[in-house]
Amino acid sequence: MITIEHLSVSFGAVQALRDVSMEVATGKITAVLGSNGAGKTTLLRTISGLEEPTTGSIDLDGKSLLRERPENIARLGVGHVPEGRGVIGEFTVEENLRLGAMISTTPLRAGLDEQYERFPVLGERRKQHAAKLSGGERQMLAMARALIARPTVLLLDEPSLGLAPLITAQLMRAIHDLCSTGSLTVILVEQNASSALRIADHAVVLHLGSVVANDTADLVAADEKLRQYYLGMVE
Amino acid sequence: MAASATTRRAAVGASTGVLAVVLSFAFASSTRVAVALSLFLVILIKGMVLLTSAQLRATHPVIARAALTVVVIDVVLFATYFFPANTNSNLAIGAAMSIVLLGLSFLTGASGQISLGNGAFMGVGAFAMAIWANHHATSPIAVGLLVAVVSGAAMGLLLGLPATRLRGPYLAGMTLAFAVAFSAILSSFNSWTGGDSGLQLPTAATPPQWLLNFFGPGTSLLTTNSMWTADIAIFVAGIAFFFMANLFASRTGRAMRLIRDNDVAAELVGVSLPRTRVVAFVVSSAYAALGGSLTTLIDNAVSPSTYSFALSITILSLVVIGGIGTIPGALIGGIIFAYSNSVITWITNQTGLNPQGNLASQLNGIIFGVLLIATMLFAPMGIAGTVRHLRHRRRRRVPG
Amino acid sequence: MDPILTSRIMSDVLGGLTNGVVYGLVALSLVLVWRSTGILNFAQGAMPMFATYVGMGLLSYHLSYWPCVAISIVAGFAVGGVTERVLVRGLYGKPEINPIVVMVGFLIVLEGAAAAIWSTKPRGLPNPFSSIDYQIGGKPFGLSDFSVFEIITAVAVMVIIASLFRFTKLGLQLRASALSPEVSRLLGVRVGRMLTLGWMLSTGVGTVTTILVASNYFTGLTPQVMDGVFAFGFIAAAVGGLDSPVGAIISGISIGIILQFVGDYFNSNDIILVALLILVVSLMVRPNGLFTRSSVRRV
Repeated sequence: MITIEHLSVSFGAVQALRDVSMEVATGKITAVLGSNGAGKTTLLRTISGLEEPTTGSIDLDGKSLLRERPENIARLGVGHVPEGRGVIGEFTVEENLRLGAMISTTPLRAGLDEQYERFPVLGERRKQHAAKLSGGERQMLAMARALIARPTVLLLDEPSLGLAPLITAQLMRAIHDLCSTGSLTVILVEQNASSALRIADHAVVLHLGSVVANDTADLVAADEKLRQYYLGMVE
Repeated sequence: MAASATTRRAAVGASTGVLAVVLSFAFASSTRVAVALSLFLVILIKGMVLLTSAQLRATHPVIARAALTVVVIDVVLFATYFFPANTNSNLAIGAAMSIVLLGLSFLTGASGQISLGNGAFMGVGAFAMAIWANHHATSPIAVGLLVAVVSGAAMGLLLGLPATRLRGPYLAGMTLAFAVAFSAILSSFNSWTGGDSGLQLPTAATPPQWLLNFFGPGTSLLTTNSMWTADIAIFVAGIAFFFMANLFASRTGRAMRLIRDNDVAAELVGVSLPRTRVVAFVVSSAYAALGGSLTTLIDNAVSPSTYSFALSITILSLVVIGGIGTIPGALIGGIIFAYSNSVITWITNQTGLNPQGNLASQLNGIIFGVLLIATMLFAPMGIAGTVRHLRHRRRRRVPG
Repeated sequence: MDPILTSRIMSDVLGGLTNGVVYGLVALSLVLVWRSTGILNFAQGAMPMFATYVGMGLLSYHLSYWPCVAISIVAGFAVGGVTERVLVRGLYGKPEINPIVVMVGFLIVLEGAAAAIWSTKPRGLPNPFSSIDYQIGGKPFGLSDFSVFEIITAVAVMVIIASLFRFTKLGLQLRASALSPEVSRLLGVRVGRMLTLGWMLSTGVGTVTTILVASNYFTGLTPQVMDGVFAFGFIAAAVGGLDSPVGAIISGISIGIILQFVGDYFNSNDIILVALLILVVSLMVRPNGLFTRSSVRRV
């Protein structure tokens, strides 16, 4: 379980997060929704240690993540698929995966086979440079690269960005399947609220750095005001 | 209102002028000295009156800068008459070096580029001056200086053309290669440059007769000549500083600062990147050459070993320590250069080091290197920049 | 005997190759630091020079040649690592000129300190191999035991570095840290250590180069022994592209051979002039180097 309390982050005069508190339940998908500039990416970056909060606390299963370096947070089992996917284009698909497996304790071969089984297209293109992949394939590679380290928490930053609706649906199904065993906790940051709400258990809505809603995904999806004002979902 | 203010200012100016003349004749020992003294005081007072007008600085900054230049040159030139020879030669060296520093300071401060070859550009000017003087013995000094400036600018253009497309580290490396290659270049043209022994000027620069008249009979040639070369160097430096101050404030100067801060954004607002960079590089080379030609004049000779890679690094150190992109920084650097040898000697004496020992001979380089690193790490704005920063902060802290 | 082998051209090619691998090594060490930290290290000659003085200085304490070489290289790693941790760490993300100025300052401090401690008098390094050219049919042929050793050593260093980067886990992390530091950190790579390691490797390569240079040339070991070699190495790196290790080595070797011809057929003063000309012309044609694939600059 991740517990975030009274978290605030500032960049100079700009306050990106204001007094954010939330709990992320183990084995569940928590969607973090909101428009551009709501602070969603900053929230993930702060959990990963890339940004330093001005106040507040972040605990993973009772252990504080504050002031830990990003590389140590990754080693504690937090996988982060960053905004824009962070695939290293100069590396081959397999090199990207080998990099991800660096901190894993399971044998490399087994890890690779597992990911190739999950995303067969990556297996077919293992020798290709990642720069040659399509957007959807890159997203798969980025996820596989995070998963190969066997994280307990997976942070996904806008996985559907720039993808066709059909691919987005496939991707969301894959994310949903990841959590079916109940051992992986996912924080899914999305602008595409309807897709995210379809698979999420819980949803948090951010607006200008503050939490405006924090409830089960079904209740958030049903709230007409939230849908209209913050999620831009107009039927 | 306006008319009465003008009248009042004219009256004040005239009366102070008269007062200056009266005072000079009352206290001076001879008519010649009295004439000089009154001239000095009149220029000084008139300049000060002009400078104290805040309105002038706001509406006619160029005239205000000119007034400041005239006053400073006036005071310093006057002072050289009373200074001993070694002070004058230090002043001359400092003035010549500060011109070189001003050029590099402009290049780096305004355009964000760096040159590790300004010692070699200085050498271009130094040799151009000597070669010209040896072929045209009767030509006035000013022509020699002009030839040096043009050669420096031409050389800067040649190397600056690829610089238009280069990012900082490539340009720095290229200028380093030029600095390292410079002695080989001189050797390649040894029929012109005199090879390893360098060149001697055909005649030493001596003051004109009217100026010699101020000195008592039997004054040594060293005293009069060192005053004269100091005067030339200071006068030229004054003009160079005046031009640079205007260039810093001009449209070109602003364009360069824009490029330094963000070159892509600069292009978006219509600044021609390549042209502005070449201009900065050429100006910096021309200033280095001018400083070099004055050095030849001061030393009455030029030797290739002076213009080594080490000199280029010294120039960089002085600019950084004085304050990149500031005009006072170049002056401070020039003064440090003029007195660095005396300071090293003093340190050697105080610490009882063997002056012929390994450490004593390396002290200059080590101290400059440590200061260079320390400045860049802890006070990257240098002495002038840091002082300005502190003053601004104090002013802001005052309530109201 | 085949006359081509003893011809002047062949001798220039082989002599140039011997110099060229040295320039290639210097260029390679510059590229290693440039790629991992975006800094052009102007003290790239002086740092290994210092390490070489420390290591080879042990010769006067009755240590034999090869242990001294090994200690020099270890000292090189140490100098590189300490420099990165103490001097360079604060310079990442600063304006381009800050690291240039600091490393130039470090260059003169190191050269001054070396001269203060060990004097500027050249020290001859014992040479384990003969420098006398091989003879074919009574005519010299541009190689000697030492130059063969030099070429083999240089190639070995290049192969070791290339395999380290290409085939090992560590190399993968080094490359990832250089290409994409933030992503690497998110994947658990200790990027700070990788940067230090990059500087260590680069100074280690430099130390091998310095020992070769100081053994080969008539100059011996002096505080300024690497100044000229650095200039040629920089030219090679800039011509090849500071991003490209392969380009650095190829252009280092090519420049070595070209300059050997210039020195032989023209005048030794013209060598550096021609090198400067090559640099200026190639930078005008390809400002980012001949072997760099593309250059995208960020706003």
